[in-house]
Amino acid sequence: MDIGFSPAEMRFREECCDWLHANVPVEKRPLDAADAIGFDKAWQRRLFDAGWAGINWPVDYGGRGLSIVQQVIWLEEYAKAHAPWIGANFVGINHGGPTLILNASEEQKAYHLPRILKGEAIWCQGFSEPGAGSDLAGIKTRGRIEGDELVINGSKIWTSFAQVADWQELVLRTEEGSRRHAGLSWAICDMHAPGITIRPIRKMSGLTEFAEVFYDDVRIPLANVVGGLGNGWKVAMSTLSFERGTGFIADQVKQSQEIEELIAAARANGMIKDDRIADSLAQLRAEVAAVRAMTYRNISQVVRSGQPGPEASVIRLFTSELGQRLERMAVMLAGEDLLDFAYGDDNMVQDYLRGFAATIAGGTAQIQRDIIGERLLGLPKSR
Amino acid sequence: MDLTPNGEQIAFQAATADWCRDHMPLEQARARPDGLWDQLEAMGLPRITAPEANGGLALDHATEALVFAELGRVLAPIGLLSSAVANRWCAAPSGGKVALALTVDAPGPLRVLDPVDAAAVLMPQPGSVRVFAISDRPAAHRPTIDLSTMQSRQEWAAAAWIADDIRAPLHLQLLAAAFAVGCADAARDMAAEYAKLREQFERPIGWFQALKHICADMAVRAAVARSQLYYAACALDANEADAAFHVAAAKRLADQAALENGRANIQVHGGIGMTDEAHPHLCLKRAHLLQFIAPAASAALLAA
Ligand SMILES: Cc1cc2nc3c(=O)[nH]c(=O)nc-3n(C[C@H](O)[C@H](O)[C@H](O)COP(=O)(O)OP(=O)(O)OC[C@H]3O[C@@H](n4cnc5c(N)ncnc54)[C@H](O)[C@@H]3O)c2cc1C
Repeated sequence: MDIGFSPAEMRFREECCDWLHANVPVEKRPLDAADAIGFDKAWQRRLFDAGWAGINWPVDYGGRGLSIVQQVIWLEEYAKAHAPWIGANFVGINHGGPTLILNASEEQKAYHLPRILKGEAIWCQGFSEPGAGSDLAGIKTRGRIEGDELVINGSKIWTSFAQVADWQELVLRTEEGSRRHAGLSWAICDMHAPGITIRPIRKMSGLTEFAEVFYDDVRIPLANVVGGLGNGWKVAMSTLSFERGTGFIADQVKQSQEIEELIAAARANGMIKDDRIADSLAQLRAEVAAVRAMTYRNISQVVRSGQPGPEASVIRLFTSELGQRLERMAVMLAGEDLLDFAYGDDNMVQDYLRGFAATIAGGTAQIQRDIIGERLLGLPKSR
Repeated sequence: MDLTPNGEQIAFQAATADWCRDHMPLEQARARPDGLWDQLEAMGLPRITAPEANGGLALDHATEALVFAELGRVLAPIGLLSSAVANRWCAAPSGGKVALALTVDAPGPLRVLDPVDAAAVLMPQPGSVRVFAISDRPAAHRPTIDLSTMQSRQEWAAAAWIADDIRAPLHLQLLAAAFAVGCADAARDMAAEYAKLREQFERPIGWFQALKHICADMAVRAAVARSQLYYAACALDANEADAAFHVAAAKRLADQAALENGRANIQVHGGIGMTDEAHPHLCLKRAHLLQFIAPAASAALLAA
């Protein structure tokens, strides 16, 4: 075991650092999805042109074909340089693209992957429905097969960036009368197709980053199904494993930045003299360090065996709850400033309010605990 | 960068686990057989990182931490911690078991852990460790809350030897963290096993989320602490500038994991968990003892 990087990796780190320092935009990323979309696309394009998009994606589809270790180095430097949040490109880059790489046909990959990397195509995720949240197998949105088309009816909810997306990871029921995990398919849905209605939903922070999506006889080619008709559950699980697994490395790296800022703030305003606050900060700093250690361990596992170990669910749960502890601490250190929060503010209260998503989106903390208990410890399945 | 054990490390770890199962199981923690220490010495366990000149294996801290986590899982003798540190940093090998004194700031009475058949006493201090001659009488040995560990009292004597190397007390803190990680693992496994076996309401109690989630949290704490332990061991091996922080973080998280898992394990067991006969209390009590060995102060965790 060692925590050192090879000379080549260290040179790579320097390259990342140099480029970021020269290129990170000075202007802040606008907060709301509709305002930010231009920014997100332009930034992604700039990353692509400079060779920083898809560092560990295959070369054939526009990636660099480098190792996952280099991807982590990039993300570490990215956070250190205070580069902007990936925003609307989150789904395409972090789980849409990786799902396609693993499951899609050559044509699908050749068409979509370069567009994702260039920021030309924005993706969203259509999994959750009003009646199917934690219980994803309860999906009711239907796709009727007519010739070489799927005719879609139903609705999705909580679809982040739906209002600005071009494509969607759509999980739907393609076998009439099928139940639960059977008869589902994972399809690429054109968000501009006739029959789609999008109703943005405002969050408690004032932002409208997600939406409800209605499908009224929406027609998409049957050829847009990924991984075979009726295999939707399996493909969706691979999407979730990317979403819950390596997709969150960037957030983990950001936490190490945040804790240092909190400690500096507590020193500056003198609150660190309170022993309880000092001890909480000390505790958070230890936990943030452990997240990096866990990430490195997980990455090493991927390098060694080709896949992340079952501990990925542990990292995800711990990191999401740690993020919320950090946000709470930030709000606590801010004191009465909390009371001045207004919709649209871009500050630690905004982060605090948005941060509730961490233990809900992508599978709630309760569902993660079930998974850890059942897959890691072998306890009997309760669902 | 690689935070997974290599083939040799896995082999050493597995061999240690096997040996512990046969010769030093947790179930017998409160009454270890005579001659156990000689067997530990014969296996080289108190000398994994000691230089070859001291009869050591001269391996790295990462390997040692892995092995000590296995030893910690069966609540191995506390004297292994202090002996390993003495054998690594003491130029003149003590040639036997070294007991562990809890740190006191100024000369005064010392609380010595695991003094039975010890040849010397090691005490960690900020930035150094001291080794004293042992000055106790077996008749004065008393039990501690941890039924596997005896204690005695002795006066602060002139140090026979001082290691003025910041890494020496860090080494002790790292090994104590490894013991705590093992202790947390043991409680987690005991709880998960019991949750699969014990049935109420016509199903294993682990079916109920209220218990499943307690067990899941035990797994999280153990995984968090173990990961930081690996990182800290590597930081110490590489003599990184922030090694002191990483070792302190490992100790803090491992102490919490051991204590919280120790407590949760008793809850998962219900009534039997409170008995003297069942094993959960052994882990809890060991966890409490470990909190006093090279604890991680907030200041060390906040240092720049
Ligand atoms: C900010 C945000 C962005 C999102 N973006 C997307 C997106 O882009 N695409 C998408 O498809 N979805 C998205 N989601 C939806 C998200 O995946 C769901 O909210 C989540 O899976 C939970 O489903 P639910 O909201 O229906 O809650 P429910 O499933 O109704 O859960 C309510 C509560 O009950 C608990 N609960 C439910 N079942 C169990 C059980 N078996 N055991 C114990 N507790 C249980 C939950 O943990 C939770 O606390 C997003 C959500 C948020 C908050």
